Amino acid sequence: MKRREFLKKGFALTAVGTTAGFSLISLLGKSRRLYFRPPGALAEDDFLAACIRCGKCIQVCPYNSLKYADITDGLHAGTPYFNFRRTPCYMCEDIPCITVCPTDALDHTLTDINKAVMGTAVITDREACLSLNGLRCEICYRACPLIDKAITLKKHQQTITKRHTVFEPVIHKDVCTGCGICENVCPLDETAIRVLPSERGDKAGHYIYLKEQV
Amino acid sequence: MGNVGRRDFLKTAAASVAAASLLASCQTKEGEPLSQKMGGVEDQLGIEWDKSVCRFCGTGCGVLVGRKNGKIVATKGDPECWSNKGLNCIKGYFLSKILYGRDRLTKPLIRKNGKLVESTWDEALDLIASKYSEILKTHGSDAVAMFGSGQWTIFEGYAALKFMKAGLGFIAKDGVGSNHLDPNARMCMASAVAAFMRTFQSDEPMGSYEDIEHADTFFTWGANMAEMHPVLFSRIIDTKMKNPDRVKIIDLGTQYTRVSEEADLYLEFQPQTDLAIANYFAHYIIKNKRYDKQFVEDHLVFKKGETNIGYGLKDGGADIPKTAGKMEKITFGEYKKFVAKYTAKHTSKISGVPEDKLKQAAEFISDPTRKVCSYWTMGFNQHTRGTWVNQLVYNIHLLTGKISKPGMGPFSLTGQPSACGTAREVGTFVHRLPADMVVKNEAHRKIAADIWKIPVEKINPKVGLHTIEMFRATETGRIKILWTQVTNPYHSMPNLNRFTKAAKEQDIFIIASDVYPTRTTEVADVVLPSAMWVEKEGAYGNAERRTQHWNKIADSPGEAKTEIWQMYEVAKRLKVDEKTTVADIIYNFNQDNYYEELWEEYRSFTLGIGKDLAPYKVLREKHGVVWPYVARDKAVNGKIDFSDVWDDIENTEPNGFTSVKWRYNSKYDPFAARFIKDHPERSFKDGIVFYKAKKNDYRATVLAVPYEPPGEVPDKEYPFWLCTGRVLEHWHTGTMTMRVPELRRVMPRAFVNFNPEDAKKYGINRGDLVRVTSRRGSVVFPADINGRAIPQKGSVFIPFFDESRMVNEITLDQYDPISKEPDYKKCAVKVEKV
Repeated sequence: MKRREFLKKGFALTAVGTTAGFSLISLLGKSRRLYFRPPGALAEDDFLAACIRCGKCIQVCPYNSLKYADITDGLHAGTPYFNFRRTPCYMCEDIPCITVCPTDALDHTLTDINKAVMGTAVITDREACLSLNGLRCEICYRACPLIDKAITLKKHQQTITKRHTVFEPVIHKDVCTGCGICENVCPLDETAIRVLPSERGDKAGHYIYLKEQV
Repeated sequence: MGNVGRRDFLKTAAASVAAASLLASCQTKEGEPLSQKMGGVEDQLGIEWDKSVCRFCGTGCGVLVGRKNGKIVATKGDPECWSNKGLNCIKGYFLSKILYGRDRLTKPLIRKNGKLVESTWDEALDLIASKYSEILKTHGSDAVAMFGSGQWTIFEGYAALKFMKAGLGFIAKDGVGSNHLDPNARMCMASAVAAFMRTFQSDEPMGSYEDIEHADTFFTWGANMAEMHPVLFSRIIDTKMKNPDRVKIIDLGTQYTRVSEEADLYLEFQPQTDLAIANYFAHYIIKNKRYDKQFVEDHLVFKKGETNIGYGLKDGGADIPKTAGKMEKITFGEYKKFVAKYTAKHTSKISGVPEDKLKQAAEFISDPTRKVCSYWTMGFNQHTRGTWVNQLVYNIHLLTGKISKPGMGPFSLTGQPSACGTAREVGTFVHRLPADMVVKNEAHRKIAADIWKIPVEKINPKVGLHTIEMFRATETGRIKILWTQVTNPYHSMPNLNRFTKAAKEQDIFIIASDVYPTRTTEVADVVLPSAMWVEKEGAYGNAERRTQHWNKIADSPGEAKTEIWQMYEVAKRLKVDEKTTVADIIYNFNQDNYYEELWEEYRSFTLGIGKDLAPYKVLREKHGVVWPYVARDKAVNGKIDFSDVWDDIENTEPNGFTSVKWRYNSKYDPFAARFIKDHPERSFKDGIVFYKAKKNDYRATVLAVPYEPPGEVPDKEYPFWLCTGRVLEHWHTGTMTMRVPELRRVMPRAFVNFNPEDAKKYGINRGDLVRVTSRRGSVVFPADINGRAIPQKGSVFIPFFDESRMVNEITLDQYDPISKEPDYKKCAVKVEKV
């Protein structure tokens, strides 16, 4: 669907909805879905306020990675997002999506794509992960554009054969950009590694963990 | 895994492992032409399990295969196979899917008016047979060639060898068979073969994978084991983790790979200068008196090789001197003087490796307290001086005596599942007969003719055209029939454009036996749909000399048939006289017991000479058997009585056999023990004897050969080195792995890999399209930078699996004048952003 066409249809539907007396709360309310935004996107609330739904970033993406949120996404409709399993961010070094953004929804001061934070990869299904099962897979590691930095391999002995090594992919939050390539390439039917929002877990900071001895 | 619950699957699979092998032999499928043994033991989910071996690389990982309703529904690593102990890599994980790509070939195809159209088997086979008859009767056997494979099962390779070398002579007007039979293994490990023969007069490594657990120092030479032999590499890392301070990995290569990442020391050298580095190590060993004096005295002979031997760039090898393979005896002193040129300074200058790194590596390899293993594959073998560089590494192991002992030895890894088993052991090369014999040798021809029960004159004494010259001869019209089986040369030949052009323009009849449409079936005149992997009974031989047999486990789709059947049916149509066909002469095996009789005939070539293969019945029972599988009693092996030395041999089996893990070592190898006992006049203090090296007084050869530059070197116009190879996820020309959607998603297309500094200089970003051009062609690839491998400055790397952009259109058809193996690792290219 062309963008213009979509916007037209979207507005038309909204109008129909209103006149028919439907409650728009569910449409306009915030979706519970997680949206993974282009590199340099502001925090979600600020992004929603700043993004004018012009679709330029979506059009300029050379890999067609970015998609439009549609009408079922309520307030998010028209905003750009990634479906990593379909097409991830391939981390163009010239970041065209930021260059074309007419507002500050995408942070123009971000010029090094490796510093982008779109999310953070997490092995979400450790039981299914082939590498953790001892197979020589590690596809996520080799496909990672920041190989040996964002994903490294932790080695331990294969406890069944006792003569091989398990190469466990370990994600480093401080380096991972959340580009989603790992989520995309995981060879399982349901990916075992997914990008999640970077902010999660303990935010309070009232306890400092022991770090590994240097 | 289909509908099987994971938990149930694991339970039942484990239970059925043991049962499968025991009961497999009880079931046979009757009524099939050339009856194959069917196997399988049913578990409670209705899945029948049987043993097999992975279809991909030369590691030879054992797998268990589960069948339901004639289809493969699941696979599992085989814990009883000692090559992998049940572990697989990601390609092994997807094994079951390679059979069921949507475009499997299921009907014979014949080219009519330029288009391939479906036909019946009878029509296709009649056409093929009539072509053979016509060409053989008018032009003789010189016009007929077959290009085979290191992925052939051993049965298929042997049947093909008989077809070409024994069968065709009964039809051809010149009355001899054709030696134009070469496997794609020519492009894969011919250099290793030539070097083994020239050094030890017996092909294949002396050690086994078990060396990995015994060694403490690993040298990888231009071998990205982490990606190409992932299961073996994880064994090396396990050894390292068990003793991290002691165990060292030293990686020598032209690009930084996942091996370099794990290595303790990485030496990045300029392409081809491995020749200089290996000579430097030998020099260091001698200069610092690190060589094993006794070993040198007892076991070695020193020789000097011919130099300036050319690159095979001219058709017919016109630039290669006839004496290219000559070796002349010299003294240890002369050898010492020869390698003395390769000082750290000189070697560093040639190779670009800093002197201190060279010295560190030399210290590790020469340290008498270290157990050193060297591993290599294509970096050494696909090399215009491949035979030399293989031998230069043997030099190091021989000088230090680090060979034929647990944890020590030079080990040439293989890339194909049966490069050893089929290509090398069966001898499907232009110059070979089974068990290391050669067509040039009259005594060898006599042995073969006796076993085959044919007149010796039917075996052609003239060596055939090796791969490159075979395909070059398709340009001149000399080759008129080319049958390719289990291989895809019109994707994998170097300087591809010239050969594809010839296939299209010349009057050459190409038959392609394959399972999927490929670049080769595209140019074929007849396409024969083949059964693959466990759809037929088979056996592969892996890099550690392990022969692994499997039963037929699944049905093949549509009308797909085995290559054994295809060759039989063609041979049946070739009439020698009114009553006799070629099949009656070469495939005179009992139809109900076809594979066993074929195997036992082939096996008779190997007995009592240190190449002894296991009997068919043992192979069916065991999860792989390492040869030599030696029988103690003369009555069984037919030649030698080992009973008086048997008690000193380790690992003998109650059945009166032993599987030799370290050849030439009398502790493990009855042939060595026998030889030493029979030769009290010689000193063999360490219990080692190179008993196959009769011509050299049972001594291994240390060869003095220099560094010589490659056939094409970057210049101003073409400033980059091009190296080609594989990636973990895809295998060879991708005909199987590109049909697994999950693997295709990981890596849908080939790429050109840059060094980050070069990319910056040329303004190339990751993902940019880049045109790579050589003197032979030009192909566009997306760029990859800072990925899994980092080529050194001034060089690019491109994998060859992608049939939509084939790097072989720009590679160079140069080859090693001794092994005739092409060099895919070095040619000159230029790059430009599109």
